[in-house]
Amino acid sequence: MSQIAVMEQQLDAIKEEAKKAFKNASDLSQLDQERVKYLGKKGALTEVLKGVGKLSPEDRPAIGKIVNKVKDDLDRTFKISQAVMKDKLGLLRIEAERVDVTMPGRVTSRGYKHPVQNGLDELTAIFTQMGFDIAQGPEIEDEFHNFDALNIPPEHPARAMHDTFFLKEFTDRPMVLRTHTSPVQIRAMQRFLKEGNEPPLAVVAPGRVYRCDYDMTHSPMFHQVEVFKVDRDVSLANLKGVLKHFLSAYFGKELPIRLRPSYFPFTEPSAEVDIGCVLCDGKGCRVCKQTGWIEVLGSGMIHPNVLKSVGIDSDTYSGFAFGLGVERMVMLKQGIPDLRLFFENDVRFLGRMGS
Amino acid sequence: MKLPLSWLKSHVALTDDVATIATHLVRLGHEVEGVEEPRSAVKGVRVGHIIEKKPHPDADKLSLLKVEIGDKQPLTIVCGASNMGEGDKVPVATIGTTLPNGLVIKQGKIRGETSFGMCCSEVELGLADESAGLLILPGDAPVGAEVGELLGLEEAVFDLSITPNRGDCMSVRGLARDLAADSGLELADISIDPVPADSSIALPHISIAAVDGCPLYLGRRIEGVKVSDSPAWIQARLIAAGQRPVNGVVDVLNMIMLDLGQPMHAFDTDSLNGAVSIRITSGGESFEALDGRKLTLPEGDLVVADESAVIALAGIMGSEPSGVTGTTVNIMLESAFFKPAKVSETRRHHGMVSEASMRFERGVDPAMVAVAMEQATTLILETFGGRAGAVSVSGSAGGINAKEPLTFDFSRIEKRLGIEVPESTDAVLSRMGFGVSRSQGKMRVSIPGHRHDVSIPEDISEEYARVIGFDAVPECLPPLATTKPAAVDHSIDYAVADGFVQAISYAFISEAEQRMFSPDDGNDILLENPISEAMAVMRRSGWPGLLGIARHNMNRQQPGVMLVEQGRSYEKNGDGHRENNIMAWLMCGEIQSDQWHTTVRSADFFDMKGAVESWLASNGLTARFMANDDVQGLQAGQSADLFIGKSVVGRIGKVDAAIADHYDIDASVFVAEINLDVLPEGKKAKFQPLPEFPGVERDLVFLFDRTDRVEAILQAVRKAGGNLLTDARVFDRYVGQGVPDGKVSLGVRFTLQDAKRTLTQKDSDGVSAAIVAAMEKIFNAPLRG
Repeated sequence: MSQIAVMEQQLDAIKEEAKKAFKNASDLSQLDQERVKYLGKKGALTEVLKGVGKLSPEDRPAIGKIVNKVKDDLDRTFKISQAVMKDKLGLLRIEAERVDVTMPGRVTSRGYKHPVQNGLDELTAIFTQMGFDIAQGPEIEDEFHNFDALNIPPEHPARAMHDTFFLKEFTDRPMVLRTHTSPVQIRAMQRFLKEGNEPPLAVVAPGRVYRCDYDMTHSPMFHQVEVFKVDRDVSLANLKGVLKHFLSAYFGKELPIRLRPSYFPFTEPSAEVDIGCVLCDGKGCRVCKQTGWIEVLGSGMIHPNVLKSVGIDSDTYSGFAFGLGVERMVMLKQGIPDLRLFFENDVRFLGRMGS
Repeated sequence: MKLPLSWLKSHVALTDDVATIATHLVRLGHEVEGVEEPRSAVKGVRVGHIIEKKPHPDADKLSLLKVEIGDKQPLTIVCGASNMGEGDKVPVATIGTTLPNGLVIKQGKIRGETSFGMCCSEVELGLADESAGLLILPGDAPVGAEVGELLGLEEAVFDLSITPNRGDCMSVRGLARDLAADSGLELADISIDPVPADSSIALPHISIAAVDGCPLYLGRRIEGVKVSDSPAWIQARLIAAGQRPVNGVVDVLNMIMLDLGQPMHAFDTDSLNGAVSIRITSGGESFEALDGRKLTLPEGDLVVADESAVIALAGIMGSEPSGVTGTTVNIMLESAFFKPAKVSETRRHHGMVSEASMRFERGVDPAMVAVAMEQATTLILETFGGRAGAVSVSGSAGGINAKEPLTFDFSRIEKRLGIEVPESTDAVLSRMGFGVSRSQGKMRVSIPGHRHDVSIPEDISEEYARVIGFDAVPECLPPLATTKPAAVDHSIDYAVADGFVQAISYAFISEAEQRMFSPDDGNDILLENPISEAMAVMRRSGWPGLLGIARHNMNRQQPGVMLVEQGRSYEKNGDGHRENNIMAWLMCGEIQSDQWHTTVRSADFFDMKGAVESWLASNGLTARFMANDDVQGLQAGQSADLFIGKSVVGRIGKVDAAIADHYDIDASVFVAEINLDVLPEGKKAKFQPLPEFPGVERDLVFLFDRTDRVEAILQAVRKAGGNLLTDARVFDRYVGQGVPDGKVSLGVRFTLQDAKRTLTQKDSDGVSAAIVAAMEKIFNAPLRG
């Protein structure tokens, strides 16, 4: 037998043996050991190749070719074995890692914003998007800002209707808890003028207000948002435009609005604003007392006496103003039946209704 | 105010249906709170005549009545009321009647006696919310007649809310005027021939000393009156309008007030002494009001007085002794104009409200003063007999509420309303009593005496708006006006992100709650008229409110709560006061719930601290926590002040067990509060490139004294660590076996990093050695094996 034939036989034997070894390896590390044994630097194939030197130069290329072929073959076999084994092990691992997806997820305790806060934030955001600036004012107010400057002189019947909380005397003038956010109108205008500005002035003023009234439908503390704008030729039509836009934006649907003439000392003309009932879409239900309309806020054109009280010329400028009760808006939007729930602060309620 | 449709129609011949009239009323500014539709519900309730009244044999409080209702046999009725007597006429609900409250009348036995019907009060007939017994019907009511028809209950009644500016519409006449003007229908003529005076009756002596309070006062004597119940039609009107009949004369005057808006009063002249004057009190006089209240009058009340006593608080209420009763024979009628401001002032002195004062305060129509006097006289003479003297007139109607006509550019109205106003609308205003003329864009408007609410062009714009209807005004967005970016406050969002539930509690608490966390140093702000003791003082801390809320929730099976509130605290500050914007937190009970993968854990100081640190970090701030054993209401050893720079911005700690106990909270309660007004501006995050080279973390465990403060330890670690050290923190704390008493084992983890290279073993060994040496030197703290 020629030298080549012997080597060929050897290579064949190695190939068959290696293939069997690869196939029978029980895990990846054994497989790798087998690879080293046959294909490694000191492996069986290398051993065979060492014998190439003994061959005549003309035989060397032939046996080189054969060796390479065997090596390629074994490499391929190894890779296939490895892939098969990885697959098999992978399946085992996947099986071992199987979970019950119906087990409850890990819950980290989360917080909630109070529904009234949500209402305040949403309402305020609508107005800032419409170009109104945010203003704040004190809750402990003097009678000038809460009443007089708003055209409610002491003998005025409306003043008695305000259910005012008075504070025990501690300053040189009588102080009250503000009964509405309207005094912010006065304060914002005063500040604005003091800074040397001239209208237009457009303000949204959210805040807490107080009325000495406590029953099923009244809370002694609640929240209002005051909105007003002063400019040349501001009209009732502008007021209606803003009302329509904001009410539709807040309730998330196009709502019909209705203005009914009413009376507030600080506006002239004054109007109560109704919206088409958000619960029955105006068809008539218990909440709207079958009328299809729900009263949501009071509004009007700022009374010239109010503008005068801060020194704005009512011949040149006019304005609109309105104030709305935040709790009422939230109750309507979220279908909350009882005002008192807001101040009970039951976390089950807050979790369900807050965000 | 209740407006019966038939009464309204006696002033204006409206032909529209009830719903349409209601719509017009609303558009004109008279809110319709409800319409009581024809009350078929009282069908079957008939006029009964009590012919016999005996006590129930078996029950002290019941009576056994025999009641004639026009059938063959009188009915036997068991009745629980006590205000009726034999001969009275009362409403009887017969068997089968369904009352407005849904009650169906059946034959029934009450304590052994069979009752064949029920005698009714105003409540059962749906006429009132309360009553003092059976409704006693007029003596001339026909027996057996349907009570609903008799009382005019078959018709619609509008329940109106009249705004306080429209005193002129607190009468059927005033509302009729608005509706007539609006519809173009004629307003009925109510002029009346003056009653001829009986010259044998002396003119009353009347003088007005307080012209500022009373510019016009009419008085007239009527003698020989036989006061009896008023006739059925008057009673029916009063009941339909929601008033209870009193006696003949008073009923007539009340009806005229409701009809014309002019309140009147009648004095028993036999009880008067000498001349009558309208004057201002100088203080100290006593007065017994018709409602039974005994008052001592202060200085400045507007009153009507005779020569010995005050006989009426003008326009508010008469005195008891001078009042008209069933036995009165001679009376003096009063019809006057009392000025709104003065009536309001006097009324407020005594906290009184009456139908009369409500009208005078809002302003009555000076033109009605004389009309009402003639109508009342006519009706009283017709109904109760008697002879009337001449009217004594003091002052005059001219000049009352007289205003200069308004002149202005008509464009002012159109600009304010944002709509064109057709000239045809002027006629409606004219029918309302305004004098309107337009020429070349100029407008001239004279204001009628009954419109106390109108004085400037804007008031006229409202008149146009309600005549045209607000619906006709288009919706038109104004141009945007803003200048500044909206400053949004995220304080609550940050706390909510840390797992807190936002609460909103009342700004007023009880004084006892205030004392838990605030000293009694005179800086409380107290309410003059609190709802209750529990809401008597403005809070100086958010904690009492949160404790109350924690109790509410813990009592309802919550294992733990995490609450946060943003609001204000209030306190006196020298001569003035301060409102602080605050954030307040509370944690108590289990804050980590029982889940399959975790165990329950209750809140402790460091949960609270972590929450506050996290909130501060969200605002770009860090604070130092300095132990303070003297925070009122917090437990010594677990309380601290929060410092930023040199100022205290807040407090944190464990609530005293006694306070938690007071709130029935059976868990440790931790609280914190920050004054937002003293917080400095937070650091704005600046861009920094992320590190290119990996950092190295090392842990070292030392044995410290228990008194060593972590703040000082970490400071020393940072110093010893030098420039490479980017972070150092405590990762482990252990006390117990293997750690001697008075010692604590603390594990310190620090991170080293260099922006320009990867660190070597040598670097970290060097830093570790420096830290070990520093701990040894500064704290005498050995490295733990």
